Amino acid sequence: MNALSSPKVPKTKGRGEPMVWFTGMWLSFGLLMILVLLTIIVKNGLSTFWPSPVLQIELVENSDAKLRGSTTLAGDVKKEQIRTTAGESGEPVPEIQLFTGNREAYNTGFRYVVESDITSREYPKDIIRAERLEYGDMIGYPVRIEFADETRLESTSKEFPEALRRMVKEANERRDKIEHIEKDLIGAINRSMEKIKLNRRGWDKAESIPEKDRLQMDAEQAGLQKEYEKLASEARELRNLQNANRLIYRIPTGDERTVATGSVVDYYYPNRLNIFQRVFRFFARIIHFIFEDPREANTEGGIFPAIFGTFVMTILMSVVVVPFGVLAAIYLREYAKQGPVVRAVRIAVNNLAGVPSIVFGVFGLGFFVYFMGGSIDSLLFSERLPTPTFGTGGVIWASLTLALMTVPVVIVSTEEALVAVPRGVREASLAAGASKWQTIQRIVLPASLPGIITGLILAMARGAGEVAPLMLVGVVKLAPTLPLDTIAPFVHLERKFMHLGFHIYDLGFQSPDSEAAKPMVFATTLLLIGLVIALNAAAIIIRERLRRKYKTGAF
Amino acid sequence: MKQSTETSSSDETNLTLDESRFDVSSKVIHTDRFMTWFIKLGGVLVVAAVVAIFVFITSQVLPLFKGASVDLPGATTTENALPPGDYLGIAADEWMEKPFAVRDDGKIIFADLVNGELTESELDYLEGGNLSTVSIESGEGLIVAGTAAGKVHLVEYSYAPTFKDGVRTVNENLEVVFTGEFEGSIRKVSCGQSGNSRLIAVLTETESGPKLFLDLVQRKKSLISAGDWKEVGKLDLSESLRKGIGVQDIMVTNRADSVLVVFDNGEIDYYFRSGSGLDTELRQTFRPFQDQDIQKIARADFLLGDVSLVLSSDAGVNRIFSLYRSESDPIRKFHQTKEFPPLYDSPAYYSPSFRNKSFLTGTSNTATLRYATTQAIRWESELPWEVSHALISKKSDALLFLTKDLRFVRIPVDDPHPEAGMKAFFGKILYEGSPESKYEWQSTGGSDDFESKLSLIPLIFGTLKGTLYAMLFAVPVALFGAIYTAEFLDPKNKAFIKPAMEIMASLPSVVLGFLAALWLAPVIENRVPSVLCAIILVPLGALLFGTIWSRQPKSIKRHIKEGYEFLYFAPVMLLLLFIGWHLGPLVESILFTVKDSETGTRTGDFSRWWPAITGTAYEQRNSLVVGFMMGFAVIPIVFTIAEDSLSNVPDSLRTGSLALGASRWQCAWTIVLPTASAGILSAIMIGLGRAVGETMIVVMATGNTPIMEWNLFSGMRTLSANIAVELPEAPHHSTLYRTLFLGAVVLFLMTFLVNTVAEVLRQHLREKYKTV
Repeated sequence: MNALSSPKVPKTKGRGEPMVWFTGMWLSFGLLMILVLLTIIVKNGLSTFWPSPVLQIELVENSDAKLRGSTTLAGDVKKEQIRTTAGESGEPVPEIQLFTGNREAYNTGFRYVVESDITSREYPKDIIRAERLEYGDMIGYPVRIEFADETRLESTSKEFPEALRRMVKEANERRDKIEHIEKDLIGAINRSMEKIKLNRRGWDKAESIPEKDRLQMDAEQAGLQKEYEKLASEARELRNLQNANRLIYRIPTGDERTVATGSVVDYYYPNRLNIFQRVFRFFARIIHFIFEDPREANTEGGIFPAIFGTFVMTILMSVVVVPFGVLAAIYLREYAKQGPVVRAVRIAVNNLAGVPSIVFGVFGLGFFVYFMGGSIDSLLFSERLPTPTFGTGGVIWASLTLALMTVPVVIVSTEEALVAVPRGVREASLAAGASKWQTIQRIVLPASLPGIITGLILAMARGAGEVAPLMLVGVVKLAPTLPLDTIAPFVHLERKFMHLGFHIYDLGFQSPDSEAAKPMVFATTLLLIGLVIALNAAAIIIRERLRRKYKTGAF
Repeated sequence: MKQSTETSSSDETNLTLDESRFDVSSKVIHTDRFMTWFIKLGGVLVVAAVVAIFVFITSQVLPLFKGASVDLPGATTTENALPPGDYLGIAADEWMEKPFAVRDDGKIIFADLVNGELTESELDYLEGGNLSTVSIESGEGLIVAGTAAGKVHLVEYSYAPTFKDGVRTVNENLEVVFTGEFEGSIRKVSCGQSGNSRLIAVLTETESGPKLFLDLVQRKKSLISAGDWKEVGKLDLSESLRKGIGVQDIMVTNRADSVLVVFDNGEIDYYFRSGSGLDTELRQTFRPFQDQDIQKIARADFLLGDVSLVLSSDAGVNRIFSLYRSESDPIRKFHQTKEFPPLYDSPAYYSPSFRNKSFLTGTSNTATLRYATTQAIRWESELPWEVSHALISKKSDALLFLTKDLRFVRIPVDDPHPEAGMKAFFGKILYEGSPESKYEWQSTGGSDDFESKLSLIPLIFGTLKGTLYAMLFAVPVALFGAIYTAEFLDPKNKAFIKPAMEIMASLPSVVLGFLAALWLAPVIENRVPSVLCAIILVPLGALLFGTIWSRQPKSIKRHIKEGYEFLYFAPVMLLLLFIGWHLGPLVESILFTVKDSETGTRTGDFSRWWPAITGTAYEQRNSLVVGFMMGFAVIPIVFTIAEDSLSNVPDSLRTGSLALGASRWQCAWTIVLPTASAGILSAIMIGLGRAVGETMIVVMATGNTPIMEWNLFSGMRTLSANIAVELPEAPHHSTLYRTLFLGAVVLFLMTFLVNTVAEVLRQHLREKYKTV
């Protein structure tokens, strides 16, 4: 009894508690990092769309932040920070970053202003913020509209807001029309011309050309040319109209400037909006962002082609990866003789999931693009050579490359799901007279479907977020056409495409003005990680369900 | 019972049951057979396809390690021998279809290798007398011919291909552009061109002994015409010749910036011409074969680029001397850089490649194709003919020989990757212009005569460097986090922490790279001391806080439930981070001060202190940033796998140890951790695998400079980033293309190896748990 009640026993109880806290610290550090990262992305991503009020400030005469010699500045506050760089005696200096817009006038879109330089702040009601086709946003005061017939409408007049609204609306409609003419109608003519050209090239090789055909083709070509000219002049007229009416505005630094109403995409009075209007505008901008084409070297407008490209590529990849992955998994688990060979294969397949994605990109470029694509070109599209059709990067090769990269993911998760199907169920099926394939088809596969879907979703998430291999096999910064459209044969597997991940890389690193591109990058990032996280969360939820359903085996 | 066995084993076909309703329909049997066959075939194919990746990539790499293949039997020989005479030099067109030879009577004889015709040029430029020497500058299409009568003629030749019905006909064109007169009979000539001026070096033999002249000719180019070449200056260098020692050869570089004089006694004088005039200075006199018995130089010729000199002694010793500035001498001089295996005898001919650093040389009945950079013999063979002149084609796809029986022989050569080889990829090499041998990656350069530097070592080094820093950061966070999650965390919390971590594992690396470069790098740039402070403060704070907390009486401790420590520590950590962040500038102003050379005041500036102390660079996009972000990419993977292997340790071990009185930390540290050690090791390995192959983060968050130093505040270039950056621009099947594939193979092997070890460890662990 004495020995048991020796003081040693209670003493050990608390030993190592600091270490528990120490390990706890690392976990909380990890979680904190995740939180910080997500916060940054979400905050910056969403603030891109928020129509924040425009602040107008007066600066002291000797401020460094003066623009064009004026002490008045206006813009929306992007950042408030304390600068402590080794400057004047290392004093912390509070400063704000203003997005001033009017890039063509200021040569910069952003301005840092030291707080102590500011003498007054106000939010002028009349200030207007307009999204333009060129030079980013305009921030200024409307002065008047000059119409094509040289009549004027001052901004003080009652009709002014209505007139401006109407003109921008008309301009937008006209822009759609021009786009329709240039992209769809003239595009169709160009395609016909291209076809004739290719035919001719084929003839040149064949030597003997029936005179009749040649004449017919000449006539056709002339007809197309005529039609093209008609459409082109129509578009030109519309374009002239776009520049006919002009909006005169005064930028906060004092100068009056002119913009054709045709190049104003949208405008609003940022300081007149109430909270509901702000929220409405916020969502409207998100929708624009998702459904519009990019402008100005991708730094403005939307990212629809990138979303669509990512979508098409991921779907194509899934279509390839699922049958092959499932087939291989069924073979390995149900048909192959379990032994050292299969175990080695399994290890190899597992490891392949860990092989760097860039290696798959290298393989894709060498095998799919150059070897397979090159072969297809010389067999089927030899008349277009040396311009490659399939022998260059394209959505099909990108999908196949990513399919190869993600096939181990599908194999592994399908195998796990197959193992998890209880033996009893199989045996019952066999006992009831089903053949092996019938058992697999009707019993095993349906039961392991959630596992297969998990694998597929994980593969999709990995595929959607991967960039490095795509850079080698067909992704581009700006694709003029989508891989799916209304022109026969509707699916254009050989086309290059845009991708959300590559869009981020390209905008953040290849664009000339990375500061101006930042909001777009953050917004795109938010969208991409939203997509990837949603896919992964779905996979995890399905897996948890599956786990609860069978409660056997370890995943 | 009987039916069930029969139906289940559908392979049996002899169903002898009376009741046919128990028969399996043939459709089922056939479907089953078909599916068995289909799945087996499909499965094997998919697995094979997966293995085929490696095979394919390797197959793309293999040509790099092949030598030159010279098709001796496939040689084309001219049917008709050239008319007899003494031939002084040969040259050819780009396709090597119509080579010519210059005979000593001034005639230029073209031999068409396609139809066998011989044509003699009509060009008449010799006013009596025979040619005494000829030097042909193939790069510029120039024949420099000297006569015994003391005249030097510059003859420009060019080829104009015409295409008709897809068949190429090459037409030659000859023009005498300049004639100069010198004292004595001409013995040797050489010419180089820079822009619109040409420098001609002329060695003559006069009654008063040998003389050496430099002649500068220029032309005025206008928009309409090329203008005529006119002599603008002449320099007599005869005084610098040695008395009693004969001059063997003179050479002007293609760029016309230096002149070499080779003496009979094995000495070489190196003159440098500065500017566009005739200002020349003797820079160096050296003896390339000083250590040899036979010092006489048989041949001295330039390699492409004029930086290296290929020298062979009379005994066949073959060396390369290159120009570089040594540490002690700021003037570029020739130093020996390479030594090749000796030739069999004194060399009879030499020709440099016009594409790369290879050259063709040999004795009259042997030939060898050598590559200077890697010191490699690409091809070597005995020749079935006696040879007097040789030439590598402009495209480096054929060799041309003029045999002693006056026939041209063209031999096709296939040597697409002369610059490749084990030594080029993994060896230390003395590159042109560099005083010491080093590992270097620089695949493309500005000029045609660029020497490609293809060492993979800096890239492998960069890969390891990035991986190391990432793991240094990731392993503690992931492992301690996993220990806490598996051992101490309330199971309720685990349900959301693990999925959260797993989702983080799938964050696209392009997002992390973008954040690293555009957010983290600028934030950290001026705040390194703050980061250091935080790194020290936070762990210390955790230990201290834990110690203080565990000493508190139960009544206080009761407020924090076990398993929630991480949550309660979060505010403390934020506070510590905040303190560390603001302590940074203070620490910087005390510890990391640099003296301003102008004002003499000491200011705290880490970004200047670091280079001043260590002598290495400080960059904004550095390894610290990459390590942090790449670590972030690795943490979730290591965490998940480590946590799994810790959780899978049987509970009986835990309960047993706790029952014996161990504290929860003791149980975790001494019982659970050692048991799961294999799994943890495999977790680290798999994390390592991911870090090794990570591409986008490195591409975006470093400067991608292939440097070799462990400096935390400089960037790197990894194998994967290198592929991503260079492969899109690499021409299909070029050396660079294949070298990048080799990089992929190395990367593949590295990760495959690491992953296999991890996988084997994990399987081993699984077996272990089965026995517990």
